[in-house]
Amino acid sequence: MSGSDQSDFAREALRSQGAPGSSARTLDFGRDGQAPTDASLMELSHVTLEYESGSQALNDVSLSVAPGEWLCVLGANGSGKSTLASVLCGLLAPDAGSVRLVGEDVFDGARGARIDFDAYRRARRSIGLVFQNPDDQIVTTVVDEDVAFGPENLGVPPAEIGRRVERELRRVAMQDFAKADPTHLSGGQKQRVAIAGALAMEPQVLVLDEPGSLLDVRGRAAILRVMGRLREAGTTIVHITHFMDEALEADRVVVLNAGRVALEGTPREVFDPSHAELLTTLGLEEPFEMRLRRRVQFLRYEDCLSTAPSGPPTEQLSILCGRARTEDSPAQQEQPAISVEHVSFAYRRERKALDDVSLEIAQGESLAIIGQTGSGKSTLLRLLCALEVPDEGRVVINGICTARKRSRRRLHGTIGYVMQHPERQLFASTVLEDVSFGPRNMGLSASEISQRCAKALHIVGLVGFDDASPFELSGGQQRLCALAGILAMQPKTLVLDEPRAGLDPRGRHELRGILNNIHALGTTIVQVTHSMEEAARAERIVVLDQARVLLTGTPAEVFCAKNEELLLRAGLGLPLPLAWALAHGIESSPLTLDALAQTISTEHPSFSDWGDSHGA
Amino acid sequence: MALKISLGQYFAANSVVHRLDPRTKVCASLAIMVSVFFIHTPAQLALGFAFVLVTIALARIPAHRVLESVLPVFAMLVVLGVFNLLLTTSGVVLVHAGPLRITTDGVRAALLYSTRLVIGVLAGMLLLLTTTPAQLTDAFDKLLSPLARIGFPAHSIAMVFSLMLRFIPTLADEAAALVDAQTARGGALTEGSPIRRIRAVAPLIVSLLASSLNHANDLSRALDARCYEDGAERSHWHPLHMRARDWLALVLAVIYVVALVFVI
Repeated sequence: MSGSDQSDFAREALRSQGAPGSSARTLDFGRDGQAPTDASLMELSHVTLEYESGSQALNDVSLSVAPGEWLCVLGANGSGKSTLASVLCGLLAPDAGSVRLVGEDVFDGARGARIDFDAYRRARRSIGLVFQNPDDQIVTTVVDEDVAFGPENLGVPPAEIGRRVERELRRVAMQDFAKADPTHLSGGQKQRVAIAGALAMEPQVLVLDEPGSLLDVRGRAAILRVMGRLREAGTTIVHITHFMDEALEADRVVVLNAGRVALEGTPREVFDPSHAELLTTLGLEEPFEMRLRRRVQFLRYEDCLSTAPSGPPTEQLSILCGRARTEDSPAQQEQPAISVEHVSFAYRRERKALDDVSLEIAQGESLAIIGQTGSGKSTLLRLLCALEVPDEGRVVINGICTARKRSRRRLHGTIGYVMQHPERQLFASTVLEDVSFGPRNMGLSASEISQRCAKALHIVGLVGFDDASPFELSGGQQRLCALAGILAMQPKTLVLDEPRAGLDPRGRHELRGILNNIHALGTTIVQVTHSMEEAARAERIVVLDQARVLLTGTPAEVFCAKNEELLLRAGLGLPLPLAWALAHGIESSPLTLDALAQTISTEHPSFSDWGDSHGA
Repeated sequence: MALKISLGQYFAANSVVHRLDPRTKVCASLAIMVSVFFIHTPAQLALGFAFVLVTIALARIPAHRVLESVLPVFAMLVVLGVFNLLLTTSGVVLVHAGPLRITTDGVRAALLYSTRLVIGVLAGMLLLLTTTPAQLTDAFDKLLSPLARIGFPAHSIAMVFSLMLRFIPTLADEAAALVDAQTARGGALTEGSPIRRIRAVAPLIVSLLASSLNHANDLSRALDARCYEDGAERSHWHPLHMRARDWLALVLAVIYVVALVFVI
């Protein structure tokens, strides 16, 4: 801290010296002397921030952002990255350290933690912020008026506002929606409107706080395209994310852990192979290509150790693709868990949400439903959970038709429904009370209830949290707590709507493990997902598009080169490993990273030097 | 989502009514809404409907959009009508069965009082359908600005009103999702005895409150980031101007109200 104090002192001394001297000399002198501070648009030095609850959100963080730079901040949930975003945007003042934003000394801890509110106000006018939840950033009900809101607050003249609104809506490719109601747009479109709203204020820096974490593949890709365009235009960007692949394009990457800077450097430096283990312990992972390379190296190494492979590669491949399991499952003889017969459904008369949809889900199966926003996925889930009755056709769950109210009530115990962002349904004062809500409604005995709750909490890994308040858990734990509340009802079928939205790599990994365990115990799993990679891990996939079933089959049948175009048109894509294989001319169709690595290591010795030519 | 609330959703078009100054629309529709309570005869009712329907036609709003926004109120009007029907005791008795007594005055009151409110609802909907929340905020801001001088937070109230319009659909969607989730966990929100239902509402209220607080928190972050400051001077993309057509519209509204209250 004394160091920053000294440099401050030196800077001020430089300024006062510069004023009266000869112009040429002071200019040169000034530039040299001020280079480290004035060259950066934002500078945090030794910033520490503590929340009232006593948890330390930022701990001695020093960071600078240069003009025109694209800085990417990575970190797991709870690593302090959102707090950092708030500090960088001038929305939150730290407890100690000093903060300099766009040329304004807003906070100086060395001089008795002085917060300069006027400087903060001035700085905020030059910093744009876009954050996670697109719903909460749009303040009006017409798109173009929302974009105009910021410039109006800055007192920009009307004609200029009009120009900026038009320009920014075009930049984010939303000009056709200028008069639309934001509540009718998809999450990705809303987020682009939010970006346009921030850009219309012509900020010197744009801070994006996990802009894509709640969006589907297409929405996230569109956001990245916009960011690419901004970079070409020379906009300074601070991008906070937990998608590692998005960080590859950045100029510089900072990795946060528990409020501290754990790693810093160019993407190449940060994603250096030697950091792989560290990244995993920080709750993150390496970008796709690096994980692939590591896996290939591992397999080759294994091959060297034992020349005889454990089984023929083709068979392994089929196991990895999940093909083997469906073929010999005894599901055919049993009554299906859920059968949907020619179902149509509409919330309003003009537009059908589902149109003649038929599908059958076998006992113990794991099914993924994919489709873009508005394709009818969530409606289908509501019908599968007997929360809604079809207009035409019928839904039969374990042999019981959902048409009658009494039978629907009986089904609510046997089908577990995990809503989108299930943590939003938490309500009780303790975790145990919340988890026992479902079992209590089922009218079970007290001993049975406590036994089921203990088991459910054990499955999700929240043992010992019984008496904690669910609202004090971390975001990831809240989601697991909500999941435990469903599992405690011991449903035969578990239906999940986007269970991974907003989770970091570690959270996604944990959830995958939990679902695999439940599935292995015989529970039928139906999930809607944005992620093609997750869908590829299911046993069967249903693709919905415009209220109809577009494709259905095993992952290998759905995700193949000939369907690529169809999937793209439906706003979807191929899983990353398959897309990578196609782009690199690999014949077989690997659906998972492991399968791809297997193929490369056994069939493509040409990739032996691959580590060097395809580096980050 | 299951529950789409169309209350106060702006209908984009470029009609005469859309182009009017929002202040004109606010004043005229308030006048029409108040004048509704002076309607006592079928002739007045006819005039009221004629005036409102002509304005809707001028605004070029499709009939189904208008119906959609009135339908939610319809159930309430029916209940009101039934009360009038049963509680009015004057007039000629038409039906008399036990405690039930239906009179000519009751039928008249039931029809008249319910239908006249439709005029008021239509006038309000017309305002919301043809005026964006931002315009409404500006209009209230300007109209109430004389009060701001004596310390009345005119602008803040206008802003809160406009944010409310923005967040009603979001919160309604969220409530619907929570009802789904609780129902799937065996919560008896839509069935069982009244006491059971009331008890089942508690979890819903707590979670909805928690999520509203989250929204409020995020929203304040968004407003700060976009440099919105309460009471600060802002510019306007579309500054308000009273033009000839606005004065004409106001004169027409005044003529209508005078005719309704004093002439017919």
